[in-house]
Amino acid sequence: MSKPSTSALSDETRTSATGDKSTGTKETSLIDILSMTEDSVASLKSALKHFDGSIYKEFRAIAEQINQTKTEISKLGINGLQPDRIPEAGRELQAVVDATEEATNQIMECAETIMTADPSSPATYHNIINDNIMMIFEACSFQDITGQRISKVVETLSYIDKRVNQFADTLESRDPSLENRHFDEEEARAAERKRDLLLNGPQLDDVGVSQDDIDQLFA
Amino acid sequence: MAVDLSMPVLVVDDYKTMIRIIRNLLKQLGFNDVDDAADGTEAFEKLQKKQYGLVISDWNMEPMTGYELLKQVRSDETLGKTPFIMVTAESKTENVIAAKKAGVSNYIVKPFNAQTLQSKIAAVFGD
Repeated sequence: MSKPSTSALSDETRTSATGDKSTGTKETSLIDILSMTEDSVASLKSALKHFDGSIYKEFRAIAEQINQTKTEISKLGINGLQPDRIPEAGRELQAVVDATEEATNQIMECAETIMTADPSSPATYHNIINDNIMMIFEACSFQDITGQRISKVVETLSYIDKRVNQFADTLESRDPSLENRHFDEEEARAAERKRDLLLNGPQLDDVGVSQDDIDQLFA
Repeated sequence: MAVDLSMPVLVVDDYKTMIRIIRNLLKQLGFNDVDDAADGTEAFEKLQKKQYGLVISDWNMEPMTGYELLKQVRSDETLGKTPFIMVTAESKTENVIAAKKAGVSNYIVKPFNAQTLQSKIAAVFGD
């Protein structure tokens, strides 16, 4: 870009930096700013002459990497993820917890009613059992809804997993030594407690040991 | 030794539903003196106040786990020999081995049925 010569500037251009002509106080004018910029550029040019070409290449590489990272981040669709998917997944899981709890309570109440029903009057006893069995069937319908909700959560997890992995691959940022590093101290403490107290949680069918295997250990 | 159905049983679980299930199963098996606690700390306090014939405990609880409760019970001079059954979803081999080393009387993996509970209680009391 060609720089304007200070002498070529008209009086109108000599407006103060604050845009206020009437105060009469001495303020930094646009000319002063341009003049200082000229000086700065000149000194910068002389400083840059001393830079090695390889440093320039390094800066170019860093700039390219930043651009690539920005592109990858935009591909992640984080804007769509944060306000919608994760909170929605949390709500779905809470709904599953609520539905299963409600259904379990209803089933248990029915079972307890049957268990304590008085069999001395066969007709009444029969009605109590029939009514409660119907209510148990109704309560079991929670499974269909919770199944659908969990499918949505699984879909969200897959969405996140796919993008995070793709992001890590693109940036070649996988470092095996960082795999067990924790996000913060609280997470580290929780992980340590889980490890020390063997809090593994439920295992999948083909991973955990069966009751028969356990019985053999106690035989 | 026969199972004494009149003995007090302490059920320890942080899920009220699970306590309700085990309580009902025990009731079906003939046990009527059943108390409950929501974690290891509460259970240990109850164990010090009342003599229980059997403890049935979950593993994964806060702040004191069933595993910690087991170790605390076993290291206590008075409570050390209390029969202790772990009823848990923790089904890794390392959990079972750790519990056995800590002195657990028997180990039941959730989900379980009344027959399993009955057979493990019977096994603990040598029936």
